[in-house]
Amino acid sequence: MWRSLLLVFIVQSAVAQSELNAGVAFGKTQGTLSLAYVHNWFAGEKHNLVIGLGGRFTGYVGRNQYYVTAPAKLTSNGTGPLVIFKENITANMDTLLVAKPNVYAFNAMINLGYRFSEKFMMGFNIDLVGISFGGDRRGNYINGAQGKMTNSAVTTFNALLVSDNDLGSLNSELYGRYMINKRWAVRGGPQFLFTEYTTDSNVQQYPEPNDRFRKKSLMFMIGTSFNL
Amino acid sequence: MKTKSVVFLLVVCFSCGPEDASPDDPVTDVFDAKNATLIKTGDFLGIGHDASGTATIYESAGIRTVVLDPYRSQNGPDLKVYLSKSDDATEYINLGQLKSTIGKQSYTVPASVKVSEYPYVLIWCEQFSVLFARAKMK
Repeated sequence: MWRSLLLVFIVQSAVAQSELNAGVAFGKTQGTLSLAYVHNWFAGEKHNLVIGLGGRFTGYVGRNQYYVTAPAKLTSNGTGPLVIFKENITANMDTLLVAKPNVYAFNAMINLGYRFSEKFMMGFNIDLVGISFGGDRRGNYINGAQGKMTNSAVTTFNALLVSDNDLGSLNSELYGRYMINKRWAVRGGPQFLFTEYTTDSNVQQYPEPNDRFRKKSLMFMIGTSFNL
Repeated sequence: MKTKSVVFLLVVCFSCGPEDASPDDPVTDVFDAKNATLIKTGDFLGIGHDASGTATIYESAGIRTVVLDPYRSQNGPDLKVYLSKSDDATEYINLGQLKSTIGKQSYTVPASVKVSEYPYVLIWCEQFSVLFARAKMK
């Protein structure tokens, strides 16, 4: 179904354009560098609807970041698509404090946008699937008053599912883009990034064993875009 | 000028704010040691930081309490009092935020904790995973 729609969209599109994007995002004690290649197709009478596919590298560094229980089964007591509407179950949420998280991710991504004019466009992109790597880290597992040090590694496989069903490290951006000439544009907007560590054992035991911990980072991204 | 402004903004963004420091007003918790049973005691040794004082575990009416008296240490962010199985917080019980860097202070030990399994009292900076001081309890 989706593949058919995409095919129709692409066939009806007269215009296509590839671009390279580079951006940095930052918060108080964390930041990212992202580099992406995107091939966009333009549809609609004025070619103002944009859909693109591409690949993105995201490098994330932070300092003293609190990762929390990741699996939707624990955070939301379910794994269906409706978990996106459920509040987290606080009693099931444990914490992994990582002093120097460092995560690198390569992901396929999708880009959606709307061109308001020749110069200005707003869009949204999100990683779909890929892999992550980074150095192993010793983290402080915190369960209420109890805690212990544990080894952890970056979760290898990434996949966009729904909300806390997601696996691994995935980046997304809601951005505005302004063309400063025919080829160069500036971009900016909020970036929402998931990064994930897996501990070397099931440090969490209640309500069931768990070794996956996720950090959700909302940062502000600024960057450039170059039309190929 | 622009460069200086950018550097200034970056410094502001990435600096620790005053909210990061632990309280340093002297405290004097009331704890009647004369009517409690002394279980274990040990002297603090600063680890890369200035710290001194004594930690003592008492039991009174079935409640175990860790008392720091006297106590004084260098300030730091997010300082916590741990009962630990090892000298570096490999496995621990968090007794709470350090009330002050100076003065007599008491911390209740959860009833389920077997104190005999935790031979150290640590002053631990949780946010930065840094050990400030340790007392080996005997």
